[in-house]
Amino acid sequence: MRIAVLVKDVPDLVEELELDESGRALAVDDLSYVPSEWDDQALEEALLLKEASGAHVSAVALDTGDIDNMLYAALAKGADRAVKLVGDYDRTMPGRQRARILADYLADAGYDLVMTGVQAVDDLDGQIAGLLGGMLGWPHASVVRDVAVGSGPVSFVQEYAGGRMAEFRSATPLVLGVQAAKKPPRYVPIARIRQVSRSATLEEVEAGAPSAESTLAVQRLYRPEAQGHATMWEGDAAEVAAALVALLDEQHLRS
Amino acid sequence: MTLRTVLVAATIVVALASVGVFGVRGRAIWNVMRRTRPVVRWDRIGERLLSVGTQVFGHRRMVRIPFSGILHYFIFSGFVVLLLDIVGTIGQVFRPGFGIGPWLSLAVDVWVALVLVGVLMAVYNRAVLRPARFHGSDERDAYMILVLIAIIVVGIVVHESFYPVVAASFFHVTDPSLKSEFLGNGLYHLWRALGWTTPTGAMVGYTVGYLMDIGMVFAFLAYLPYSKHFHILLAVPNIFFRKLGPIGELVESPPEETMAIRSFDDMRWKDVLDLFTCTECGRCQDVCPANAAGQPLSPKMVILDLRDRLVSDWGRPAADAPPLAGGAVSREALWACTTCGACQKACPVFIEHVPKIAGLRAALLEDGDVDPAAQKVLVAWERQGNSFGQPARKRPEWAKGLEFPIKDARKEPVDWLWFVGDFAALDPRAREMTPLVGELLHRAGVDFGILYEGEVNSGNDALRIGEYGLFETLAQKNLKILEKATFQRVFTTDPHSLNALKNEYRKFGFDKPVFHYTEAFLALIQEGRLPVTPVPIRATYHDPCYLGRWNHITEAPRELLRALGVDLREMPRHGEQSFCCGAGGGRIWMDETGIVERPANQRIREALALPGITHFVVACPKDVSMFHAAATALGVDDRLRVTDVTELLAAAVGMRATPLPAAMAMGSSE
Repeated sequence: MRIAVLVKDVPDLVEELELDESGRALAVDDLSYVPSEWDDQALEEALLLKEASGAHVSAVALDTGDIDNMLYAALAKGADRAVKLVGDYDRTMPGRQRARILADYLADAGYDLVMTGVQAVDDLDGQIAGLLGGMLGWPHASVVRDVAVGSGPVSFVQEYAGGRMAEFRSATPLVLGVQAAKKPPRYVPIARIRQVSRSATLEEVEAGAPSAESTLAVQRLYRPEAQGHATMWEGDAAEVAAALVALLDEQHLRS
Repeated sequence: MTLRTVLVAATIVVALASVGVFGVRGRAIWNVMRRTRPVVRWDRIGERLLSVGTQVFGHRRMVRIPFSGILHYFIFSGFVVLLLDIVGTIGQVFRPGFGIGPWLSLAVDVWVALVLVGVLMAVYNRAVLRPARFHGSDERDAYMILVLIAIIVVGIVVHESFYPVVAASFFHVTDPSLKSEFLGNGLYHLWRALGWTTPTGAMVGYTVGYLMDIGMVFAFLAYLPYSKHFHILLAVPNIFFRKLGPIGELVESPPEETMAIRSFDDMRWKDVLDLFTCTECGRCQDVCPANAAGQPLSPKMVILDLRDRLVSDWGRPAADAPPLAGGAVSREALWACTTCGACQKACPVFIEHVPKIAGLRAALLEDGDVDPAAQKVLVAWERQGNSFGQPARKRPEWAKGLEFPIKDARKEPVDWLWFVGDFAALDPRAREMTPLVGELLHRAGVDFGILYEGEVNSGNDALRIGEYGLFETLAQKNLKILEKATFQRVFTTDPHSLNALKNEYRKFGFDKPVFHYTEAFLALIQEGRLPVTPVPIRATYHDPCYLGRWNHITEAPRELLRALGVDLREMPRHGEQSFCCGAGGGRIWMDETGIVERPANQRIREALALPGITHFVVACPKDVSMFHAAATALGVDDRLRVTDVTELLAAAVGMRATPLPAAMAMGSSE
């Protein structure tokens, strides 16, 4: 079983986010970046599969700048190979363009299973996995966990609203958007990453130029605006209780 | 064949066999030590010899538990005197007429009595007093040794008592020392009354006594390296090769690749020597806060389990053998350690537990086996440079409310560079103190500055979690900015930062003097730069581990409190024998499963046992957080006020009212 885990870095939301002059995008050069936490989950799930059944795991990333350390960290954690897709890329590329470049690479790179984070802070609708499945014509599922590989089809669980879930089995090749790994992503000591960065090399693959296919255009990027404010009830317990009962009645929530 | 020939032959045979058996084990240990990591322990010879003098011959640490200290001194000094007896006894057989003279013979008999008293005290200690610290020790070995010692010293008296007859009838010499050998002489008269002093009777009696003494001495020698009693020989070198300091420096030189201990080869040779020197006395276990909290850590068992593991395969484990970290020593035990160092401070033979635990933790960490909450902190340190996961720009926010600007030490020269630390900058409760410190420095006219968002965590705790690479990254970030700044000394309220800056940054060439605020403010008061009026409260002071134990700063905070007019009362465990709050070594972020009673709660109860104490004074930002929580949890915060030294200083200079516990504050307002 050959697994590709697609990883990328995203703006660190702990830091203050700045908009660029256009007001339609983040000032990408002023931000600090961290590995996307859902990609970390996908990588962990892949590494657990490797430990359970001896899969071969490759970490794959688009070279949008300063991503080497993230790939070395993946190797240090136990990935067998790290692939950097090199081209004229930057961090502002929309998901659709990213998916096209990845699909072109993945189409005949010989992977059985492609795993990536179900979403990212800059891709909250989780498009990458679905787009890849469509572009490659491979089966696809997102919001999955408990991935298992054996000699037959790949099995996994997909989560639904209301606490329900479904078990699936799929033939390969297959694209999965991973919600969570079976265990929290492992820690890798900094010294180990440094050691790997001295001894291992990242495989660089020349990939295509960003396609010109149409994507959604951002009209305006802005902070959430307050629509209303909470009402604070003052007074003693009896007064507050009376106000609460009145509200429940008003909303027809009391039988 | 004469009696003498038989005894000479027997002595030679037993001695050779003993040395052979001893040598087999000695050589095996030596082979392990040869493969270990280097560490320099041959420097500062004078200090080392002095330390052997005070600790071996002065028994300084031993007598901290007086009963054990005294009984051990009887037995220990008996061994020194026993050497005289061995020379005298073997001498009189090998060279008839040889003697050590009446005075030394008298000494031998005096010490025979003292050793017997010591042995009886030891039996009483083990069988009746049964201190909990012995739990887990090999009691059978301990009794075995006591019996051997008793046989040897009784043997001395037995052969002495038959010697006058043997000397005359078989060796054809006179016994010059019988009169001074008062025990032997007494027994001789008993034998005479019983009619056992015939030449044959004396020959049998002397042979039995000789074998009980000399035969058993060689049996004992052979048994030593297989028993905890190896310390008889190893204690002296182990104390000689002790860590002289700065003891707060956990890692003496940057490790080549990793600080992880996966095999005994990854230890330093002194660590292996430590394992075989352990006497199983359990003093470390007795003072361990994790052990007291009910967690599965005993520093003693860490040492013994490592020793037993080493002896089982001599550092050449089978492929499927369990690992050292998480196998020989459980992961729960390793992560329970607060790195407070109480174990090392209590150990009479100067075993270093903490570096071994940190090295084993590093091995767990490399395998990704770390507490999830601690892992988050490691990631936050790497990304944001602080344990709170706050953006760097939040670090200097505490300074915004001040009425004067604090100099940016990155941009202009300052006299004192204030290294603030994570907790003082970002912890909600501790950061209330931080502007007060700034105001106090300002009032005293100190020219000081901070590094603003340029400062990152010192890395002290990261290193103790076993993450050397992260420690180094953090240290280099700080050093890069410190190198550019112009300042005369470093000032900090945080003992953990102090320890890193003072001791751990040495290996990167940082050598500026580092002061704790208790030292600095004491000096300012003494110089008259900070006039104070008395704060008449009765308080106890808690020594932070990284201030008192690891950096010997115990007097400055006390002098400071006295200078502030505080009526200071000591808890039983104070100074370098202080009891950890439970926060160190990354514990503050880790899961508390298995804790029966938090060390901080135990400490608050220790303080409450002192009569009339209203204030529990701390001098560490983490302690502010830990002990406030403990006093609240115990429901005693209305009568015992956890107070940082800063608040008392602020009250003494008239900046703030004296902080009072709720009960007193209400009383004063009525």
